[in-house]
Amino acid sequence: MAAVLALCVVLSGCSGEETGGGKVVLQYTWWGNPDRAARTEEAVALFEERHPGVEVQTSFAGYEAYKQKLATQAAGGDAPDVMQLDYRMIDQYASGGVLLDLRGEVRTEDIERGLLATGVVDGKQYAIPQGRGTETVVYDTKAWERSGVPLPREGWTWDQWADAMRELREKTGRPGGTDPGQSEDAFEVWLRGQGKELYTDDRRLGFDADDLAEWWTFTDRLRREGAVSPAEQTTQLDGAVENTPLGRGTAISDFNWDAPSSGYLALVEGGVTLAPMPSAGDGTPGQYFKPSMFMGVGASTPHAKRAAQLVDFLVNDPDAAKILGATRGIPVNETIREDIAPELKDFDKTIADFQASLDGTLNAPPKAPPSGDSALQTTFQRDYDQVSYERMSPREAAENYITEAKAELRS
Amino acid sequence: MTATQMPPAVRPSGAAAAKKAAGRRREGAAWVFLSPWVLGACVLTLLPMAVSLYLSFTDYDLFNPPNWVGLRNYTQMFTEDPRYWRSVVTTLTYVVIAVPLQLGLALVVALALKNMRRGRGFYRSAFYAPSLLGASMSIALVWRAVFNDGGTVDNLLGTGGWVNRPGWSLLAVALLTVWQFGAPMVIFLAGLQQIPGELYEAAEVDGAGKWRQFLSITVPMLSPVIFFNVVLQTIQAFQVFTPAFAVSAGKGGPADSTLVYTLYLYDRAFVASHMGYASAMAWVLLVVIGAVTAVLFRTSRSWVFYASEGER
Repeated sequence: MAAVLALCVVLSGCSGEETGGGKVVLQYTWWGNPDRAARTEEAVALFEERHPGVEVQTSFAGYEAYKQKLATQAAGGDAPDVMQLDYRMIDQYASGGVLLDLRGEVRTEDIERGLLATGVVDGKQYAIPQGRGTETVVYDTKAWERSGVPLPREGWTWDQWADAMRELREKTGRPGGTDPGQSEDAFEVWLRGQGKELYTDDRRLGFDADDLAEWWTFTDRLRREGAVSPAEQTTQLDGAVENTPLGRGTAISDFNWDAPSSGYLALVEGGVTLAPMPSAGDGTPGQYFKPSMFMGVGASTPHAKRAAQLVDFLVNDPDAAKILGATRGIPVNETIREDIAPELKDFDKTIADFQASLDGTLNAPPKAPPSGDSALQTTFQRDYDQVSYERMSPREAAENYITEAKAELRS
Repeated sequence: MTATQMPPAVRPSGAAAAKKAAGRRREGAAWVFLSPWVLGACVLTLLPMAVSLYLSFTDYDLFNPPNWVGLRNYTQMFTEDPRYWRSVVTTLTYVVIAVPLQLGLALVVALALKNMRRGRGFYRSAFYAPSLLGASMSIALVWRAVFNDGGTVDNLLGTGGWVNRPGWSLLAVALLTVWQFGAPMVIFLAGLQQIPGELYEAAEVDGAGKWRQFLSITVPMLSPVIFFNVVLQTIQAFQVFTPAFAVSAGKGGPADSTLVYTLYLYDRAFVASHMGYASAMAWVLLVVIGAVTAVLFRTSRSWVFYASEGER
């Protein structure tokens, strides 16, 4: 016991910053799967090796559980020292005073400008993006090739996509893809193609009932024709690839983010290919590089310096990057991205190549969505359910959504 | 409903003063013994209820300190939230389906068990078992699988998965509750055994058939127990959560067909972080359940028969 205490005193003596005996203990929490956990633990161990005075206690959970637990912790003033955050959480956590401004605490010179700006709220750098992802039309390679329908190509438009869905239906007897009407993400890509945004800079709705009614009329027509998945299947979408029509083998393609698309490999025998999202008729791309997740430091942490060091290490250190690979998306640090590119394997490489093919062709990402967006995403799905089960017209449902969204954003 | 402290029914007089002091001491001892419960009720029930009443007039979102918004949550609920009204209709539909079905089944099984001579203990336990299992999440998840596309029901009836059909999904949820008819069944059984056998013998002598006996003896004699079960199950049905949550995978779908009141309340509180709004919803539910129970008590005067009243 005495020996341990003595060791602690020596250690804290060396690092200088700590007051009192004992190591600095940092809580670091994130969401993810066991693979991400294994790689994260390895990177954290390296950090501890380099900073002998610091012990990092990690914990992780699935996204939904993580989100609720973190919100409760934050409400109780007990947020972890370092936490992984989603794009949709930033505004809420920053404006709620949960996060620390990291400007000057973490090196950001190598991070892509546009992506870095997505972690800024009210002029403060509350969060640092960790990786970037983008949306994709992911398809069953063999099934699509065999059907004889022309393959998706860069710069294809929504009309061309719709025609492909119809042809696939005709040739294979299966719907061409998932009904994108339920997805706020797909709608955003379509909307950006029209030169609009989901939200304005002052956190209001960036579109009106006409836009949404037009989108839902477009997807609803395809659903009635059988070109995209029927309501019974669309309603079961919950974010897991197993529950998508493509994952179940009842459709040829799906909309998803690039990194999670690795999940299809185990489900689709013919292998999968990533194709870009359709553009507007005039060629305006709607898709963008989105920060796939962020790191933030709790405002109430007693070890702000150490916490920022951990963030810096995980984002900027080449050795950490080698361990982490693309488990949190392709790294946002451009130097590191180039360094590790040749070392990426399997689907990590597929994603890197896909993103490289889009680099330089996309418009800047939108700012972090307002707090209400997290709830509105569900509302969006629910309102489209009313359309696809033919209980409401696209126009009625769109007007409902606008009413609900305005109430949500006002509060 | 309200438990008020009744003073001893003695008028204070000079001679009774000493007695009164002794009574007060005894009362003090009672409070000491009650204190664990009183403390629990205050800290874990009354205090949170008071806080939730306060929060229902605020915009509390877990992150920022609550701001007073007056009746805005209530007006938004009633005038600006179409999904709120859908959840109200869904809940009422659920109550109307689940309560009569469950109580009917419980009564039928209790009647069958009452006349059984051998193995009653076994069957009683067997029929009660679902009530012990059914409340668990795992059974609710199995239920979802049974009623899903390619599940048992789909394969047997060829109807497709009920949980993905708006017209059928609520029935799948209700059946999960109906299946747990054990508690009302046991209460019915106890009530049935209280009915004096002479009544049936007399009726038989008068030439009454089984059906006639059921209507003229069993139902009136059992009416206090029926009433008790109706009140209890109605209150529970209004608060149904777990079956709807599990069977719809937490979403209340498809097309909001299983989005019952408490599930929407949960959604507002923990998915959308509108604690104030959710608190307001909870208080409206409390008031509505109170009102429905009051109405049930009012109607009970015309159909519930208490044997003891007959002697007055």
